[in-house]
Amino acid sequence: MSLRQIARDVGAWLDHRLGLSGPIIEAAEHPVPRSSASWWYVFGSAAFAVMVLQFITGLCLATVYAPSADRAWQSLLYLNYDQPLGWFIRAMHGWGSNFMIGLVCIHMAQVFLFGAYKYPRELTWVAGVVLLLATLGMAFTGQVLRFDQDAYWGLGIGAAIAGRTPFIGGRVVKMILGGPIIAGETLSRFFTLHVFVIPGLLIAFVGLHLFLVLRLGINEWPMPGRLVKRDTYLAQYHELVSKDGEPFFPFAAQKDLVFIGLIIAALVVTAAVMGPIGPNGEPDPAIIETVPRPDFFFLWLFSVFALLPPWTETFLMLTGPVAAIGLLFLVPFISGTGEKSYRRRPVSVMILVLSFMTIGILIYLGTYSPWSPHMEAWSSVPTPVDYVSGRTPLELQGAVLIQAKQCRNCHALGGQGGMRGPALDRTATRLTPDQIVRQIVQGGGNMPAYGRNLTPAEVNAIVAFLATMHPAHQPPARLAARPQRPEQTDASP
Amino acid sequence: MSEAVKPLQPSEATPEKPVSRRVFLLKLGILLNAIAAALFAVPVIGYLASPMRKFAWMSWISLGPLENFPESQTRLATYRNPYTKPWDGMTANIPCWVRREHGDNFRVFAINCTHLGCPVRWFPESELFMCPCHGGVFYSDGERASGPPPRALYQYSHKVENGQLWIKAGQLPTLGEPLA
Amino acid sequence: MRMRRIGAAAVLALVFVAACDGLPGKPKESDRPLSPWQVKSFTVLFSGNCAGCHGAGGRFGAAYELANPTFQALVDDAALTGIVSQGMAGTAMPPFAHKYGGFLTDAQIGILVDGMRRRWRVGAAPPNAPPLAGGGGDPARGAQVFARSCAPCHGADGEGSPKAPGSIVDPSYLTLVSDDAIRTLIVAGRTDLGHPDWRGYPPGQPLSAQQVADVVAWMAAKRPRFVPGSYARNP
Repeated sequence: MSLRQIARDVGAWLDHRLGLSGPIIEAAEHPVPRSSASWWYVFGSAAFAVMVLQFITGLCLATVYAPSADRAWQSLLYLNYDQPLGWFIRAMHGWGSNFMIGLVCIHMAQVFLFGAYKYPRELTWVAGVVLLLATLGMAFTGQVLRFDQDAYWGLGIGAAIAGRTPFIGGRVVKMILGGPIIAGETLSRFFTLHVFVIPGLLIAFVGLHLFLVLRLGINEWPMPGRLVKRDTYLAQYHELVSKDGEPFFPFAAQKDLVFIGLIIAALVVTAAVMGPIGPNGEPDPAIIETVPRPDFFFLWLFSVFALLPPWTETFLMLTGPVAAIGLLFLVPFISGTGEKSYRRRPVSVMILVLSFMTIGILIYLGTYSPWSPHMEAWSSVPTPVDYVSGRTPLELQGAVLIQAKQCRNCHALGGQGGMRGPALDRTATRLTPDQIVRQIVQGGGNMPAYGRNLTPAEVNAIVAFLATMHPAHQPPARLAARPQRPEQTDASP
Repeated sequence: MSEAVKPLQPSEATPEKPVSRRVFLLKLGILLNAIAAALFAVPVIGYLASPMRKFAWMSWISLGPLENFPESQTRLATYRNPYTKPWDGMTANIPCWVRREHGDNFRVFAINCTHLGCPVRWFPESELFMCPCHGGVFYSDGERASGPPPRALYQYSHKVENGQLWIKAGQLPTLGEPLA
Repeated sequence: MRMRRIGAAAVLALVFVAACDGLPGKPKESDRPLSPWQVKSFTVLFSGNCAGCHGAGGRFGAAYELANPTFQALVDDAALTGIVSQGMAGTAMPPFAHKYGGFLTDAQIGILVDGMRRRWRVGAAPPNAPPLAGGGGDPARGAQVFARSCAPCHGADGEGSPKAPGSIVDPSYLTLVSDDAIRTLIVAGRTDLGHPDWRGYPPGQPLSAQQVADVVAWMAAKRPRFVPGSYARNP
């Protein structure tokens, strides 16, 4: 008997008892509209494939990772440096999470553009939104399990947001942290979420999502002018697939398979080239020389928190996510029928483009955080040599003080330094010496008042230095009410 | 399957007949399960939500002898969080900023920015606390100087005893439950 | 045929696994995250803590030139360690040691001092050099020394000249520099900004230790008790 024969016999024996081959073949060969077997329809299955990969790499990591606050960070370093191929599995898991978020977002944008969420596929969309939230939940909890300084202070940010809840803020914080402060129980809570709760949710809702796709059929390619109506759509769709349908396997599945192969290959190459993500410094809160930043998929939120007007913050932090998620759920109930084609839905296209642009720009801003002081700029970014040479002794002391008093943390010179305040390269063209004194001493426009923190000599030195900060061809600012001195009048044409 | 359903129909068709044993048993079963579920759910929820209950998290802990804190200076102090478990590891090393104005006059600030909890850093040269996350800045007395923070830095209750500085610590300060 | 194909695949997989150690993504020992006190590289420590004021490579900074060989020859390890640890009173130089509110360990300060000496000290201390620390000068004699040695560049009254613009007796300036800082500048000079050391006032007529002390005393005598300015506090 050949191997093939044995396999066939075992298969037949199993099928006789399970009786699954019928439904499986039926599902695989269910007819899909010929137009749906398109390269646009491959993102959902690719996201599913990456999720399966995440389960496998996650399982591998769980065999080594120590989910305990005092050991987690060490076990991550062990994975990176000592466990054979541990770095590669960590890289696959970390980059897999980025890939999955990307694919889920593209899939969702495609579904939105093609009107696939409309009648009768509302529930498919709702399950999809749950899957999006679960994916983001996995990303956030995963970032916590990479238990380093960013994870620790990321938890602090989460707690600070929760702590803003009226009346029960303190209790909510303790519920999230599993205690009064970020500690062992916090990590255990997030481990439970990341490894048991959310994966369970993912499996359940992926099942529901796929069941609905099979039951309701894959959305046909949207044709401008072909409107969705509740009483006629089902019959139209049936006619479409029976007249012009093709079996899902292999007609549509072949494109899915090719794309999945490409994505997995890309993921493996990315992991091999880019390596594992983090961990950075050990999660010891006593190390305060740290600049916490979230991973990129939450960087846009980080930017929002910096840019919101402070008086709206608490309200928007607490209601914004609820409203946004609620709106996502309501999409198919707001526009459940009518035009499907993006060619006839300009508002939808605009909403999509605007959302992606907004989030993209916020992420870009978050990567260099112009609103944050650069904590090391004062001691690590030298004064440009041009601003040092040819200065008087007092001006030179002013340049020293610009560094030593941490002005550089918020103000750039020669394009380097903080970006919180304006660059100081042309200060003298904007402000007279008296105005510079007022700005330094009283602050204002988001600058702290330095009046209590600087001596008059220090202020004089800084002002003397800043008064030189104008290009040779451009005279310094002067008070319009004060007549120009003769030598200045002579100099000007 | 179909045989199991059919016998039900005659009994439903004759409403004057008293409740059959089968329907009674079904209802009893549902009721018993509801009670059992409640009996089970209460402890499970109580277990999961136990951190929300009010405990005495906060207790006094020493930051060391007064000599460690020179007058009119702000220094970083680290303490082992009094509410801790053996597996908390390094996460229980909590830093705070101690300002000694003069004599026994102290201010002890939490490390967490009041905006979103990031660690503020003291710069003695410019006498400012700066936050690396969203640009919150505070003066030496903890008052807000600029940026998005909604209030001054959180302060610990403190006392001086036996030549040592003590603070009442144990929980993460947030807007919902500031320290003092 | 089939067995050969499977064998080839297995060999390929083995090669791939073996090659993994050479992949660019594999973390290198140098990428290992360090706690701040574990940083032991002079370059990292200097560029993170010193370069801001003293310039990249210790030259052309707003503050004093650490790469000045004359300065490095004259200053001793203890003095340099003391300045880095505790700061320099009367100047903007802050303390860097943990004990004084800074962020560096004593070992790291040792690495900084050692690295500076190794890079920038060329040869032994020149003979007859005035010390970098001291006192006991006389302002009246200092005025004479100034008129002979310094006035050619800094102007008769110290208010500056086209050669060296800006006053060196400005009340604010004198308040911001200590006597030791002035002495260091006179003795060791600033090669990056063109200020001579003690041998160059003018060349061939080196200043004696007493003359340096006298000029410092003359400048210190001009330092005001208070700098006027109602807008900010006095120290």
